Amino acid sequence: MSEKMAISFTVNGNRETREVEVGHTLLKFIRDELHLTGTKSGCEIGECGACTVMLDGKPVNSCLVLAVEIDGKELLTIEGLTENGELDRIQKAFIDHAAFQCGYCTPGMIMSARALLERTANPTDEDINQALSGNLCRCGAYQEIREAVKAASKK
Amino acid sequence: MLNYSYVKCKDLTQAYDLLEKEEQVYPLAGGTDLIVGMRGGKFAAKIIVDIKDLPELKILEENDQGIVIGAAVTLNEIATFKPIIDHALVLAEGAHTVGSYPIRNRATLAGNICNASPAADTAAPLMVLNAQVKITGSHGKRTVPINEFFVGPGQNVLKKGELVESVLIPRPYPNGTGVYLKASRTGSVDLATVGVAVQSWDNKVQVAVGAVAATPVRAISVEKAVNENGEKDLVRAASLARDDISPITDLRGSREYRYHMAEVLIRRGIEKVMEV
Repeated sequence: MSEKMAISFTVNGNRETREVEVGHTLLKFIRDELHLTGTKSGCEIGECGACTVMLDGKPVNSCLVLAVEIDGKELLTIEGLTENGELDRIQKAFIDHAAFQCGYCTPGMIMSARALLERTANPTDEDINQALSGNLCRCGAYQEIREAVKAASKK
Repeated sequence: MLNYSYVKCKDLTQAYDLLEKEEQVYPLAGGTDLIVGMRGGKFAAKIIVDIKDLPELKILEENDQGIVIGAAVTLNEIATFKPIIDHALVLAEGAHTVGSYPIRNRATLAGNICNASPAADTAAPLMVLNAQVKITGSHGKRTVPINEFFVGPGQNVLKKGELVESVLIPRPYPNGTGVYLKASRTGSVDLATVGVAVQSWDNKVQVAVGAVAATPVRAISVEKAVNENGEKDLVRAASLARDDISPITDLRGSREYRYHMAEVLIRRGIEKVMEV
C-alpha cells in the first residue's frame, strides 16, 4: 500500500508542484526527490539536528515532518542561502573560523545559526549554546562554531 | 516507508469522526512524538489526521477565564507568550526545556500531555497551576483537571473519538512565583531524569514531580508539611516526597538517584519560590 498526494510549495524561492508519498518524511523527500543533498540524515529521531531546514521561516527537524505537510508552505534548505553564487555571511564565517572537521553537521548548524541571528541580532555565548543545542557535532568543533556564529552576527 | 493514509482535516468534526469510526487513527499536531513512535513501532497508524492548521486549535489568548492554549500551539509560542511569562512562568520554563529549538517549533503542549510520558516537562508545571484540559469529541465537550488527566505511562483519560482541544490556565492566577527544575543527563535536549515544578500561591506552595512514578504526581506530603504543619526545615519537608513517588531504575537514572534528586530539586524549588 502506498498513497500519493499532490502538493505545492516553495523551495529556495522556486514554486514547485509534486506528487509525494504520504509515508515519506520531509527529509527523505528533500534528498531523494528534490535531490538537495545538503540536508543530512543523521539520527532520524530529532536529536542530532543534521536535517534542520527552515519551514515558513522557522527551523525544524525535517526527519520529524511528513513531506505532505509542506503543502502551501515555504521551504528553505542550505542550498537556498547563496545569493548570485555568493555564500552568505554565516557560511563565510564557518569557513573563516574552520568551524567544522568532517562537515556533516554543518548544514544543520548553519540553518539553526541563521534562525538564531534572525531573532537575536547580537547573541551571547549562552544564546548560541542554547540555539545550537539541538545540533550535534561529533568532531567537537563547538568552540569554532560558536566563534563563527559570533563573527557572522557582527557582519 | 511507513504505510498509512493521510487526511488533512478541514474541521474538528472531521477529525473526531475519523477517530471515532476508524481504528488505529492518530492525530498529528507537532508530530515529534508521533513520527518517532511510528518509526520505532510504538504506534501502528493506519490513518493520520492532520489537525495542526485548524484555526480553532491555533488559539493562544488570554480571556476572562484565563489563558487558553489551543492544541496546535507550539512550545516555542508558549514559552514566549507574555501572559504566560507574567502569570505562569513555571510553564514557560517547562516548555522551554523540551527538546531543542527546532523541536519546540513543532511540538505542542497538547501533544506533550497526550503522549503522557511520566517525564513530560509541561505536565508538572500544569499541575501546580491547576490547569484544566478541554476535551472535545463526537459525544460533546468535557473538562478534566490536569491532576486527573494521566492514567499511566503513555495513557490518559481520552476515550475513542476524543481530542484535546485546549488547555486552560485558569484565573485567578497564582500571585507568587514558580519554577521548573530539571535533572537530565545532558544540559539540553534530553528527557528529564527528574523534573520538579514548584509554584507559590500566597504563602502556600504546590509541588509536582515528573519521571518518578507511573504518571507525573503532586508531592502532597511535602505540600501538607509546609502549608499546614508549618514545617520550616525544608530538607525534612522535601524528604517526605518519598511517600508520594515510586521511581524506577532505567537508562536515565537509578531508583535511588531519582529519590535523591527529587528531594534536592523540591527543596531548591521551595527555597526559590519562598525566597528562603
